[in-house]
Amino acid sequence: MPIKRLFVANRGEIALRIVRAAQALNIETVVAVSDADRDSAAAALADRAIVIGPAAAAKSYLDPRLIVHAARESGCDGLHPGYGFLSERAILPRLCEQHGIAFVGPRPDVIDSLGDKLQARALAGAAGVPLVPGSENIASPADARREGDRIGYPVLLKAAAGGGGRGMVIANNGDEAEAGFQRASSEAQAAFGDGTMFMERFVPEARHVEVQLMGDGKGKVLHFGERDCSVQRRYQKLIEEAPCAAMSDELRARLHQSAVDLAASVNYRNAGTAEFLFDVRRQEFYFIEVNARIQVEHPVSEMISGFDLVQEQLRIAGGADLSVGQDDIVLSGHAIECRINAEDAERDFAPSPGRITRWDAPSGEGIRLDSHMTEGAMIPPFYDSMVGKLIAHGKDRAEAIDRLVGAIDDFVIEGVPTTLGLQRAIATHPDFVANNIHTRWLEQVLLPRFGKDAA
Amino acid sequence: MTDHDLPENLRYLIEEFNRSGLRELHIRKGDFEVLLSHADTAIRAPRRQASAVPSKVEAPTPARKVAEAAPAKGGSFTRNAPEGTIVISAPNLGTFYRSPKPGTPPFVEVGQQIAAGAEMCLIEVMKLFTTVKCEVAGTVEAVLVEDGSMVEAGQPLFAVREA
Repeated sequence: MPIKRLFVANRGEIALRIVRAAQALNIETVVAVSDADRDSAAAALADRAIVIGPAAAAKSYLDPRLIVHAARESGCDGLHPGYGFLSERAILPRLCEQHGIAFVGPRPDVIDSLGDKLQARALAGAAGVPLVPGSENIASPADARREGDRIGYPVLLKAAAGGGGRGMVIANNGDEAEAGFQRASSEAQAAFGDGTMFMERFVPEARHVEVQLMGDGKGKVLHFGERDCSVQRRYQKLIEEAPCAAMSDELRARLHQSAVDLAASVNYRNAGTAEFLFDVRRQEFYFIEVNARIQVEHPVSEMISGFDLVQEQLRIAGGADLSVGQDDIVLSGHAIECRINAEDAERDFAPSPGRITRWDAPSGEGIRLDSHMTEGAMIPPFYDSMVGKLIAHGKDRAEAIDRLVGAIDDFVIEGVPTTLGLQRAIATHPDFVANNIHTRWLEQVLLPRFGKDAA
Repeated sequence: MTDHDLPENLRYLIEEFNRSGLRELHIRKGDFEVLLSHADTAIRAPRRQASAVPSKVEAPTPARKVAEAAPAKGGSFTRNAPEGTIVISAPNLGTFYRSPKPGTPPFVEVGQQIAAGAEMCLIEVMKLFTTVKCEVAGTVEAVLVEDGSMVEAGQPLFAVREA
């Protein structure tokens, strides 16, 4: 049954985005707000806003019982979790099921199994999705050399019981593998009480690619192309684009098929993203994980496909079949999104909440802005500092970059420092323009010089 | 509305606005624009002044005690507490129950004298019950929500006149 009244269990730009998508489908909306978000744009636009708790997320947006209670008592028959917060916690769809509310996302058991890294890896392997070549447990220096020779150097030695980078060693040849094993294994023994190691192929200059998926929950899965999210700082994506211009058509087709096979093998329902490491030199990709939700960067896929993914999510959650077939999804042009955060680049990107005193947003052909901000709006200090996503679409990557840079130049935000300046530096950097980047490029190449060159 | 009627209409509008429990009222018609707000700073103040009419008309401030106890920027709460009383608010969202169990008498009735620490009601979230207490001794002046209805975090539940 189509959703009649939707509960939006999120905040910020995505809450506003979901309310708009619901309104386009004539679905009523109820937005959950914390005490700090009473005056949010989503709250103002929705049919109703309910104060579910205090500003602290743990007592508001992160409490599944409060969320589902509020959804049920306000007569909602659907719930959209957005991204972040509770979006990938299986307890939320479980509580929704118990109370007759359609969850806009995958089934709880699928969230559980994909959320577990080992299980997800096993599912991917079973579906024929390429995994990073790796070893079983390694117990001796001789094992380390033999496995390293088999996998191909460089390799990464990791403690089986490890985490947080401790007990990790990169080895470029057999001698380094033996020596590295000795060192890392004793380090792991001291740190975790377990010296067991394992080994993976190390990709020094990898790109991050991901495939946008949409499933009907009955085994039919569509993809909306891939995205390249290689501009990252501390594993946080800053710029996302679609398609991945560094990939051949033949490899792209295999990438899409792998992602679809994995999702179809678990009868995936609703929107999801399969993430991969792309080894450009070898022209191979390896499975990383599945994000069982809509992602921040979904707009670039919408821009090249022309589909509204959030509306499609709401239709599927309301019991509809996928509205199109794979052949109906025609990807055209190139889209780039940059995330604008209220952060101070001069203070190591410290979040800088505060009131927006001026907000002159750009517009123009191929320009889209997803934001909940306006002049006078407050960025509360309790949540992430993203103030918006600026998206540019063009007939090719060069035109998309041109439009993005033009839009950044037209954008005036005052009251809080933002990452607009950094985004401009990235989008105009010769390496980025030439698409000669990888996941550590920003940290290794651009950031060390950022702000130091004569402005 | 014609210019001639403006002062009278405005007065009527302000009175109705104060009675309504709305937190903001923004009217724009032709080159006439008015924003009534209970907020300390009007967030959606018009960017361009279209006429000589003040864009913000301050509503009379309610009694201090109540003003302090009520949520700063208002929510969708409709019933106001009597002047000079202390407001007991919901600590979190949930269903408001006046009685410890169905069919039993309420914790407190209007007019009842209560001691400091008295139990006032239950707030239920997914079968988890929280007891709300009154920190001061006094008299229950008003019950501000219907038994069994959903209350939001910070929503006024009781008005108590301190002894």
